[in-house]
Amino acid sequence: MARTASDATLARPEAGRHATGRPRSGRPGLASMAVPQGTPATIQALIALLIVLAVAWGAIGAWAVDQHSSAASSLAHSDEPYSSDAQQLYLAIADADVTITTSFLHDSSTQTPPSSLAARQRFNHDLIAASGYLADLRNPGGNPQFTQAVATLAGGMPDYYRDVQTAQTEYVQGITPAGDSAMEVASEDAHLTLLPAAKELYQLENNAVMASSSQATSLTTVIVAFIVAIIAAIALFLVQRWLGRRTHRVFNVGLVVASAALLVSALSLAVAFVGARSDLNTAIGQGAHPAESLAQASIDVQQIRGDSILNVIARSGDSSLSEDSCSLALEVGPSPTSLPADFCSKGLPWPSGPGSLSGTLLGNASSAGNAQVTADLQTAISRAPAWYTTNAADYALGDKYLYPSEQANVFNAATNFTVVENSVDNALKTAQLTFSTQANAGANAFGPVEAIVIIAAVIMGLAAAWGLSARLGEYR
Amino acid sequence: MKTGGGGSTQGIDDASDGKVDIGASDAYLSSGDVLKNPTLLNIPLAISAQAVIYNVPGVSQDEHIKLTSTILAEMYSGTITKWNDPQIKALNGGVPLPSTPVVPLHRAPKGSGDTFIFTSYLSTQDQTWNNAVGYGTQVAWPDIATAVAVPDSVTMYQKCGTTPGCVGYDGVSYLAAAQAAPYNLGEAMLQNGGGHFTLPNAESIQAEVNKFVAITPANETIAMIFGPGGDGYPIVNYEYAIVSTRQPSAAQAKAIRAFLDWVVTDGNAMSIVGQVNFQPLPSDIQTLSKQQIARIQ
Repeated sequence: MARTASDATLARPEAGRHATGRPRSGRPGLASMAVPQGTPATIQALIALLIVLAVAWGAIGAWAVDQHSSAASSLAHSDEPYSSDAQQLYLAIADADVTITTSFLHDSSTQTPPSSLAARQRFNHDLIAASGYLADLRNPGGNPQFTQAVATLAGGMPDYYRDVQTAQTEYVQGITPAGDSAMEVASEDAHLTLLPAAKELYQLENNAVMASSSQATSLTTVIVAFIVAIIAAIALFLVQRWLGRRTHRVFNVGLVVASAALLVSALSLAVAFVGARSDLNTAIGQGAHPAESLAQASIDVQQIRGDSILNVIARSGDSSLSEDSCSLALEVGPSPTSLPADFCSKGLPWPSGPGSLSGTLLGNASSAGNAQVTADLQTAISRAPAWYTTNAADYALGDKYLYPSEQANVFNAATNFTVVENSVDNALKTAQLTFSTQANAGANAFGPVEAIVIIAAVIMGLAAAWGLSARLGEYR
Repeated sequence: MKTGGGGSTQGIDDASDGKVDIGASDAYLSSGDVLKNPTLLNIPLAISAQAVIYNVPGVSQDEHIKLTSTILAEMYSGTITKWNDPQIKALNGGVPLPSTPVVPLHRAPKGSGDTFIFTSYLSTQDQTWNNAVGYGTQVAWPDIATAVAVPDSVTMYQKCGTTPGCVGYDGVSYLAAAQAAPYNLGEAMLQNGGGHFTLPNAESIQAEVNKFVAITPANETIAMIFGPGGDGYPIVNYEYAIVSTRQPSAAQAKAIRAFLDWVVTDGNAMSIVGQVNFQPLPSDIQTLSKQQIARIQ
């Protein structure tokens, strides 16, 4: 028999005894009846086994790569941008409301009609932007709450715009009380209908980000893939050893090639996964998590401002808006000393106890490990207490029915509000940039690994089959 | 069915707290009220107006002193202290105005829908008042020695009747009692958005309301003060029912809907609402009210 290229052999096999496959005992047992009889049959079975393992490794390895790669890609290119759009949608509506109500209040108090051109342009721009963001969103998982919130916004924004235009018209005609009541109706549209729906959308989109984050960094699929790889490696080793004992040849080239293909592809997967997971953990820990806190803080900051303006418009002496502001300020933080002693009539506790930054939105974002975010937030953290103090003074004036003074104070609070708002927004942009940079790196880390795994599995299957087939040929 | 009084703020608060099935208010729900209880509706049931009443010795009830929002603001600010002030005399040639000190009456300590619409009227034309006091169901009244606080609408005209020189404000539903003996109070003609002086009668009230029908929003929250032009009376308002959309039972919701439906239709007949000087709702406002009533479940 001619030597084949698959044999790195030193001697021919001891064909006689093992080739018959005859059991060593005179009487066949159940076990031996259940397995292939004779070495050729055993080799054929081993070929089948290794091909199955190669296919399994190729399929499961590629599936694992695909799962992580697509989750990372979805996170970087889809979920996070949608979440960002939803947050921008909220902020655009909030800014529209704050802009136009502040302008109406200011100009109606000085009897100059009825709002500045700049304010109206900013209001229009905000609503157009909000419409754009709304159109860009997608429903994560066909959620009916998403559909309901979109319908609320799609139907509510024209109503809101119309109510603002009514207020505008009445101010122009000099019917200030009717203008004020129309503005109150419009602002209620924003606060009770539009903003809660926008917040719902943001939360749904953010939930999708968190789900993708979890999937992208999950170990389960990779562990399954590596278990298959280990089984395949053990099988290759055992087959090689079994073959070696029968041929006295140390290596079967086909099996060596198959082992090498498995090793290379498994290492590729491991390296890619470790790299991607590191990038994604950074993206999530220093990007998504602080961004989530900051987006919520940004929304709350707008709502605190909106409450103070609405309180001026309402002139009811009701404490609902000041209590809402208090709850929001507690959530935003940064610390118990941020709030004036009499700001919260309910005496609500801080989320994580006195003296701690953690547990508040600013605190969480600041301590997330992103140095640039922490630096960006310093201004917000230092100016928030002054802003809260001004707000407390607003409500105190309202409680004493000193509406003109309250109104003037609300205008004066705009400076601190703007500083806090800008600081939070800058930190949010930094966190979002960190996220997108790291998430993109994580998504790209898998590169050609899926192809490598598939090709390696094909090589592994073919090489093992070829190597063993050549050995099998020696028995014919 | 039991009824009670106490003012607009109490009507809103009691409806909000679930103490009553239907509250009543001259003022619409504020944003704070709506935020606190988003299920509340304000549903116009009829049209009212606010009369400015006075007790000026020597001036007969037929003479109707003419006043503007600016003059009233200055009377309540303490700038105009006597009834024969040159600004008042300039508008009321031939009226024998005495030098009696002005005694401004206002509602306090509780909030009042009457105070909301009266101070809204003062704020429309008097920028000093608007910038110093403003408007609301409660305001920080200027601290003047002669001012008197009264707790409710009845006390308002009763106190005015016993206080020479008083000026006060009350819903037109109290006007007959205020003008009758023993109080014999006068009723002012107020300057409207067209510069004319008018009394609160059927024609002037309807004329004023008609300016606002087309711009009344779906939730019927609107201030109808000092509308532009025309011959309307400048302080009119919807009389609101304050009701929650969520009732404890379907039977109760049905009963409330049936009652309110009757009020805005058959109950809106002039023979009924006219008994207290109210006016029926315009048909478009009836439609809006019915739409709101249908939301009560």
